[in-house]
Amino acid sequence: MDDDVSPLVEMTSISKSYGGVQACRDIDFTVRAGEVHALLGENGAGKSTLMKVLSGEVVDHQGEIFIEGARIRFNRPIDAQRAGIAMIHQELDLVPALSIAENIFLGKELKTRAGTVDKRRMIRQTGELLERTGVALDPRRLVEELRTGEQQLVTIAKALSLDARVLIMDEPTSALSSHEVEQLFEVISELRASGVGMVYISHRMEEIGRVADRATVLRNGSVVAEFDARELTAAQASEAMVGRPVQTLFHTSTAATGDEVLVVNDLHVHPKHPSPGRRDPNGITLSVRAGEIVGLAGLLGAGRTELLETLYGIGSPGSWSGEVSLRGKRIRPRGARRALRMGMAFVPEDRRIAGLALEHSVLANTVLSIVDRLAVAGAVPRGRERDAAQRSVEELGVKLGSINDPVGSLSGGNQQKVVLGRGMLTDPVLLLLDEPTRGVDVGAKAEIYRLLGEAAKRGVGVLFASSELAELVGVCDRVIVLRDGRSVRELNTSEVGEADLLAASMGEGMVVDALANGEANGGEVA
Amino acid sequence: MSSDKGDVTTTDSAEEPDEVQAATPVKGGGGGRKNVVATLFRFQSLFGLALVFIAGVIFSPNVNGELIFLGVNNLFDIVRSVSEIGILAVGMTLVILIGGIDLSVGSMLGFSSVVVAVLLVNENWGVGPAVVVVLILGLAFGALQGALVASFGIQAFIVTLAGMQVARGLARITSGGQGVQISYGNDDPSKAPEVFSLIGERTFNGVVPISTLIFAAVAALAIMALRVTSFSRHVYAIGGNEKAARLSGVPVMRVKIIVFAICGLCAALAGIVHAGYLNFGGPNDGTMFELKAIAAVVIGGTSLMGGRGTVLGTVAGALLVGMLENILGLNNIKSDWQSIIIGLVIVLAAGLQRIRPASVSS
Repeated sequence: MDDDVSPLVEMTSISKSYGGVQACRDIDFTVRAGEVHALLGENGAGKSTLMKVLSGEVVDHQGEIFIEGARIRFNRPIDAQRAGIAMIHQELDLVPALSIAENIFLGKELKTRAGTVDKRRMIRQTGELLERTGVALDPRRLVEELRTGEQQLVTIAKALSLDARVLIMDEPTSALSSHEVEQLFEVISELRASGVGMVYISHRMEEIGRVADRATVLRNGSVVAEFDARELTAAQASEAMVGRPVQTLFHTSTAATGDEVLVVNDLHVHPKHPSPGRRDPNGITLSVRAGEIVGLAGLLGAGRTELLETLYGIGSPGSWSGEVSLRGKRIRPRGARRALRMGMAFVPEDRRIAGLALEHSVLANTVLSIVDRLAVAGAVPRGRERDAAQRSVEELGVKLGSINDPVGSLSGGNQQKVVLGRGMLTDPVLLLLDEPTRGVDVGAKAEIYRLLGEAAKRGVGVLFASSELAELVGVCDRVIVLRDGRSVRELNTSEVGEADLLAASMGEGMVVDALANGEANGGEVA
Repeated sequence: MSSDKGDVTTTDSAEEPDEVQAATPVKGGGGGRKNVVATLFRFQSLFGLALVFIAGVIFSPNVNGELIFLGVNNLFDIVRSVSEIGILAVGMTLVILIGGIDLSVGSMLGFSSVVVAVLLVNENWGVGPAVVVVLILGLAFGALQGALVASFGIQAFIVTLAGMQVARGLARITSGGQGVQISYGNDDPSKAPEVFSLIGERTFNGVVPISTLIFAAVAALAIMALRVTSFSRHVYAIGGNEKAARLSGVPVMRVKIIVFAICGLCAALAGIVHAGYLNFGGPNDGTMFELKAIAAVVIGGTSLMGGRGTVLGTVAGALLVGMLENILGLNNIKSDWQSIIIGLVIVLAAGLQRIRPASVSS
């Protein structure tokens, strides 16, 4: 190919093993100026390790790195940064108690002539940077007040502030709404035009074709395929990643739906302590029948998480108007424990923060919600506990060595199954899910969809919030679109596509045919 | 490019057709060696205890060819000396397991010793009612602290720092600033019933200290409870990830209050034992005991972050410190140096925890 120009980055024969696990095996990888090179593979395929080698975080590797043809050896991350390589981590590395501006300039604060921190200049420059990233945030706001997606945009802005020549993005869109993803893509094309080379790691296949030029697929630490990203199909990519054809990703619900499990009628929450970051329910009307999977769509900040939290009894404290009933009985759960007793189970948005005790065993995490019920006179019989956990991991197909292994040693998808399994063990009538497939690889995603389908088949009602439109359309029977804490549309997924959902989420007034024909059930809720 | 791709894909899939799924969780069976290492770390305090014991044998002065360290009386002196700290440390372990801390236990010990002495000597109460009332006071004091931590979200460090001051003040007020001497006599109303003096004595031919038996009973009860009860699952879950525990239906507030109440109860019991052993209720007694109890817990391998640790480890930690002090004492090493050496042991124990094999991988 372009053999006359040496690539911006060239990595040759990179190998790295952790103990007995070969994370990278003889990998060649290049990034050219002005291209986006997608790196694909399941969790544990070696993507992160390879990128940690490039960003100087892993230094005891084999193989060599060349920057613009010159051989270089990184001893510390700072060496890589000086060579113009910046990495946006999947885990957000921001300091919550500092403002956006302070985070961006952390370690390289601007000084006034008197030697004090020049806040004004930092705030102004941060404002410019955020604008370039397409984020409308006040640079003075504290990072802890921001939602996960907004924090992710700040990390991206922070990386941009380094003026890097090579930018590594590890799942940059995992917490972004569709609208923000579009903004990020614009930023990426600007960077491309200015000659920055980018590595793009994502599990979202549809993004690869749109944003990347080339794609390299890793499996078990080796390069197994390279593609022209613009011609890559999702099926090809998945097959290369998994090593075999992936069956239809989505489950299509065939369950005959039963009685209404959940009815929410014009629910408003008036919080005692209003917070600008939260979008509490402000006019929600919806219903979920037994055996039905209902999606919750909407942009980031539309109030999906807040709605699920309110239903589960852990929303903002304050007064309610409107009504919520579960199996025909009016309820107002206060606290997760009571909600669980009423028959709800909740899978929270971030399993690491709110879902799992990562150092504890799979066993302990799986049975946590039912240890009370298993106990006889306060004592938990070992055998019953073990049986329940074993049954759960088998039913959900959690891949593990031993049930006593720490849950943190499992892959993201399997961790998520443990959270789901814990909820399912309580025999819920209503399952509340907040972004259950976030940061989960494609194989595990398909399994989670299958599990939801099975739960629905057994008569569980499922309320499923997601910012991935493809999965909402693929998995759900109906989708409720939220905007500003209100339910604004209800769409029947057999009749509409992703574009309709996106349009409804963004409120651009695009006419959805199905709606115009009056075939969908919902409509504007006053 | 396309032929490249084809080649690689086929060879790879021919080698390991079905391995992909199994390979996804990065940690497979790590082999026996890793398990041995994990076990070593898990029982680090027991191994430490064994090491200190061996050191005791080696460095023991001997009299007429007999090692003083190994003498039955010396060994029981050791377990006697750690009884009060040990009882405090059992309660402290629970509090630390939920990610908390209780700085009030030393003052609470002093307060309890004074109250039990006053009730027995000045108020002529029977042993039963006096003990029960003191235990209830400890329980209530702990529960109150727990309620402040759990419902107002004030940090345990702050709440119990305040509790430490309050309990110390109460001890001085109750005793009028003076220690209360306990003398025994069943017929004399100004003396305590003789049965209370049993706490300071030794049973089985005057070998086994009663106070040690009380410590052993408390520890055994706690070890059992942390193994089998659903309550213990809740305790560990809160320490492991409080938010996840709450969302999973764990009654976080209730568990926290109970844990602090148990810790207060242990402190009150330790105060009773202390008074029985010394025949004295001392308003200034127990100063710094909270830190000694925390040291025993830390040396015992319990993580100050919560969620990980055992009472067995704590017992070993308390014994380790007691044994070390004993050995140093037998060798006439001054208490100043003892203090320094124990400080180093604490750092060592904490350091070992830091380098324990990472159980979490991303």
